[in-house]
Amino acid sequence: MKNLINIEWLKIKKYPAFWGMLIIVMLTYPGINSMVYYGYMEVISGKDMVNQVAKMVLGNPFAFPETWHSVAYLSSFFVLLPAILVIMLVTNEYNYRTHRQNIIDGWSRTQFINSKLVDVSIISCIVTLVYIVVAIGFGIYADSISWGRWAEQLEYIPLFFLQTFAQLSIAFILGYLVKKAFIALGIFLFYYVILENIAVGLLKWKKIPIDRFLPIRMSNNLIVKPALQRTFGAAAKADYELQLSLVPQQVLLTIAFTAIIWMICYRVNNKRDIV
Amino acid sequence: METILSIEGVSKSYKKIKALKNLSLTIPKGSVFGILGPNGSGKTTMMSIVLDILKADTGEYSWFGLPNSHEERKRIGALLETPNFYHYLSAVDNLKVTQAISGRGDNAAIDEVLEIVKLSERKNSKFSAYSLGMKQRLAIGAALMGNPEVLLLDEPTNGLDPVGIAEIRELIKSLAQKGITIIIASHLLDEVEKICTHVAILKKGTLLTSGPVDEVLSNEDIVEVAAANMEQLKKCIANMGGFTSIKEENDRIQIHYPIGRSNLEMINSHCFNNGITLQLLLSKKKSLESKFFELTND
Repeated sequence: MKNLINIEWLKIKKYPAFWGMLIIVMLTYPGINSMVYYGYMEVISGKDMVNQVAKMVLGNPFAFPETWHSVAYLSSFFVLLPAILVIMLVTNEYNYRTHRQNIIDGWSRTQFINSKLVDVSIISCIVTLVYIVVAIGFGIYADSISWGRWAEQLEYIPLFFLQTFAQLSIAFILGYLVKKAFIALGIFLFYYVILENIAVGLLKWKKIPIDRFLPIRMSNNLIVKPALQRTFGAAAKADYELQLSLVPQQVLLTIAFTAIIWMICYRVNNKRDIV
Repeated sequence: METILSIEGVSKSYKKIKALKNLSLTIPKGSVFGILGPNGSGKTTMMSIVLDILKADTGEYSWFGLPNSHEERKRIGALLETPNFYHYLSAVDNLKVTQAISGRGDNAAIDEVLEIVKLSERKNSKFSAYSLGMKQRLAIGAALMGNPEVLLLDEPTNGLDPVGIAEIRELIKSLAQKGITIIIASHLLDEVEKICTHVAILKKGTLLTSGPVDEVLSNEDIVEVAAANMEQLKKCIANMGGFTSIKEENDRIQIHYPIGRSNLEMINSHCFNNGITLQLLLSKKKSLESKFFELTND
């Protein structure tokens, strides 16, 4: 296992696109959170009655421990960036035909997929690390008094990791089966940005409550939209509570779905000709 | 002799095309085994199957007489079709990957093979900046690294200049002397003839012939004779002179001549004058090329 990690890290650490992705992630995570943060500051700094009410009901979503939740939710929109990298890392093996060479040199077919599992894990860990740093940064910056509550809501760290890992696994299987980077990326983007959203909209309109079982939605629901408007109406509040109560179910669903994805990869790889 | 690789009844189809048809072959230890065949004859398919890149439809193969496992592949240095490396990594980093996967060699071995394939000066350049010949040499270097017991080379001189080809030829010869078994697929007859001890010829997925080179492909003139009294014939031929060697084979005698030097008329009259009437007098003028064409043409 250690050997596998060493080999994959050797491949990743000298890959320019990896550093490109990392820099962009390190800019976007603080970026998107700052936009929302300063938007929030503008609202609560007003002198009007409305602004003061907003301050009271909203609290500070970027103070500890809320920062874990808010930053996770906002950052998770940008899974597309590491997804590009994951797709590149697998389709590179096809381009360079190193997926054959690795086997020729002595890996078993299972070890090859293990190595890709390692890739997706490494990238998920790094992205999660960036999230943790950004969340801590905002927590301290937004409200230095509440930092003593940093240890609350830490469950958002594993949830963020699981969401990232699950969605990157979807990107991986696309790259793995389609073999062409741009086609795989196109399918992923189209599904992630457009198709599933249309499906969700349609299901909600028809009042069929199964949208939480859709591949991306399934793991998106791990991190419920923060209750910025939690007391703005009983219906919204009830919905929020419902979503929160479903999180354990979503965790199990996501783990099962991701396990199936990888099982398919192992099965396919053990049987097919490597061309 | 000990067997390095045995293949038993392997068949492989790609959709409609039958790439290999019930192929059986054994490769003895210490041989330089050439696999010849025209383009599309199944050479690469065969090599891919024994490296577990392709799955055979039927049949079995075994390395070192052991059950199939990826551990056995670590003992084989292989170059299959094209040099396959990470384009953005340098030669050294690419070899580090090879090394970590195969478990063969150490850092010193990397420098050593880069020296052998004459890439030391460019060892820190990215693979993508290499010329075709340099890529090929790196692939040969990767196969050589850490002294594998077997080398499996598919068209190893592809893309090399004449000097490079000669260097690789010498390299293979010197490795063979160290007792490493070398399996080479090629369509360059000259290349195979110069270095191989054994040869197999494939055509459209069928094995036409295999065995030691001097049996399968010969560059000499061979005359086969036979008579009722073989002992007498043998003595008579021995007295004749002009040949390089005589081999007795089953019910006939093979007389080997340097190429172009056999003379059937002369043999016939010599025997007749010595009181022997030949039952068989057959010229077998076989160059490697004519043998190959004979076998592979329809």
